[in-house]
Amino acid sequence: MIEFRQVTKRYDSDHTALRQVNFHLDRGELAFLTGHSGAGKSTLLKLIMVMERPTAGEVIVGGQKLNSLPRRQIPYIRRHIGVVFQNHQLLFDRTVFDNVAMPLEVMGASPDDIGRRVRAALDKVGLLNKEKMNPMQLSGGEQQRVGIARAVVNKPPVLLADEPTGNLDPELSADIMHLFTEFSQVGVTVLIATHDIALIDQMNKRRLTLDHGRMIVGADAPLTGGVSGY
Amino acid sequence: MVTDSRQKPEKRRGANRGRSPASNQARSYLDHHRKVAKDSAQRLWRSPVASMMAWMVMGVALALPVALLLLLGSLQGVSAGWENSARITAYLSLDVPVEQARELASEIDGDGRVLSVELVDRVQALAEFRVSSGLDDALDFLDDNPLPHTLLVTPEDSARSADGVQALVTFMEGMDAVERVQVDLGWLQRLNAITDILARAVWALALLLGAAVILVIGNTVRLSIENRRDEILVAKLVGGTDAFVRRPFLYTGAWFGLGGGVVAWVLIQVSLWWLNGPIERLASLYQSEFVIHGPGFDGALALIITAMVLGWLGAWVAVKRHLDDIEPGDIAGG
Repeated sequence: MIEFRQVTKRYDSDHTALRQVNFHLDRGELAFLTGHSGAGKSTLLKLIMVMERPTAGEVIVGGQKLNSLPRRQIPYIRRHIGVVFQNHQLLFDRTVFDNVAMPLEVMGASPDDIGRRVRAALDKVGLLNKEKMNPMQLSGGEQQRVGIARAVVNKPPVLLADEPTGNLDPELSADIMHLFTEFSQVGVTVLIATHDIALIDQMNKRRLTLDHGRMIVGADAPLTGGVSGY
Repeated sequence: MVTDSRQKPEKRRGANRGRSPASNQARSYLDHHRKVAKDSAQRLWRSPVASMMAWMVMGVALALPVALLLLLGSLQGVSAGWENSARITAYLSLDVPVEQARELASEIDGDGRVLSVELVDRVQALAEFRVSSGLDDALDFLDDNPLPHTLLVTPEDSARSADGVQALVTFMEGMDAVERVQVDLGWLQRLNAITDILARAVWALALLLGAAVILVIGNTVRLSIENRRDEILVAKLVGGTDAFVRRPFLYTGAWFGLGGGVVAWVLIQVSLWWLNGPIERLASLYQSEFVIHGPGFDGALALIITAMVLGWLGAWVAVKRHLDDIEPGDIAGG
């Protein structure tokens, strides 16, 4: 579902964020992306989101090569990728319901459809009774769950999360991880960038580790392209 | 929810079953437009002072050229009216006898460009002059009648243009018995020349002010783009197309235009009402029917639609320049 082939990303001339990264994630796979600060985790996620383009190598999502993707096609790729951010990126000028509805609105879904699917997503994260509230009134964990509901409301085949448990206590973190596991069990490919080593150890899932832009754990053997790992 | 995530939503649509996907698509597209239009209008309404100021600026900028155009139109109406009543006066030489004058009259009458010719006999003319001038006694001292026979020539409709009249004048001036031909169109030609210059000046002004309106709206919309930066970022992140992100701002521009057009119309109506009394008095002094006509329903509609197009254009300029700068690249942390 997600494949990196010899991907290098260089910013300017002196800063190389990723060096010849190879890996492949299957449909329904859940993996953690770890590494020190500045190791290139965010860059890797941005390449999948087509917020950045690789300097060399190929990024393939859902069978589509993103390198040569015309700019106007980018929104349609993003509709197939749900993203959860550490800082939620919720809008405080509208209700929880309207926040979660955004991915459906941009697709032009009908109001009935939006109502039904938003409530299903909020139900899944256990916030159905808070749909009319402003996200500002919610706790950090609840805000994060709203972010997750928004990321999955249009049932994307790929779910990315950037430090989704960064500000949460261990119990809430475990809850959120449980949600991600459930999504992967129904076929969603989940990639979670995190520092939270304790949580990763507990989950016993595949792990991709970056160090100064190189993938030192979990990478595929270069040029073979097959799935290796845990 | 995720368990049935692979199902196509259409399968569970229920009430909408039986509609074709295309008509559904069109319906939700229209719904979306309606929603965005309403939402943009409500946003303007929620900051009434700022919106009102933008409307006033637009209204003033639009009212000025439109008012001048209306004035110009009325002036051109005046000159057109006078042109229609144009008559050519030909004074014959004093030694031309009345029989020859009659022959001349019928000769000119035979010309295709001439509708009618009226001969004013010099005796008759003196009598009229005596009555109308009140110089009865003074005229008695004259030995001779100083007035010549006069022909009053009314041109055909087709010859009532400036060129046509000029051709007739040249034709009559060429006749031996004719001493002098007079058309009192000089002032009319001057008025026409002045209104031509005015018309160009007004159009130039209208273009400048139209450009100003576009820039003002562009700047206002730029501010609202800045205010909604987060929303734009999120919309782009979840797969909003450029058209989707642009749409609310284009509607905002159009609503600014609508408000500006209405304000301009009100300003024009109030000014007309205020000016019409003095204008009527002035016109009556000139024994003229001159009035400045208001824009009317069609004019008001055209004004408002033009204003909306200008607002939309202004928004387009702002959106083109500023929306591309907002890219979600910087959203995720290091």
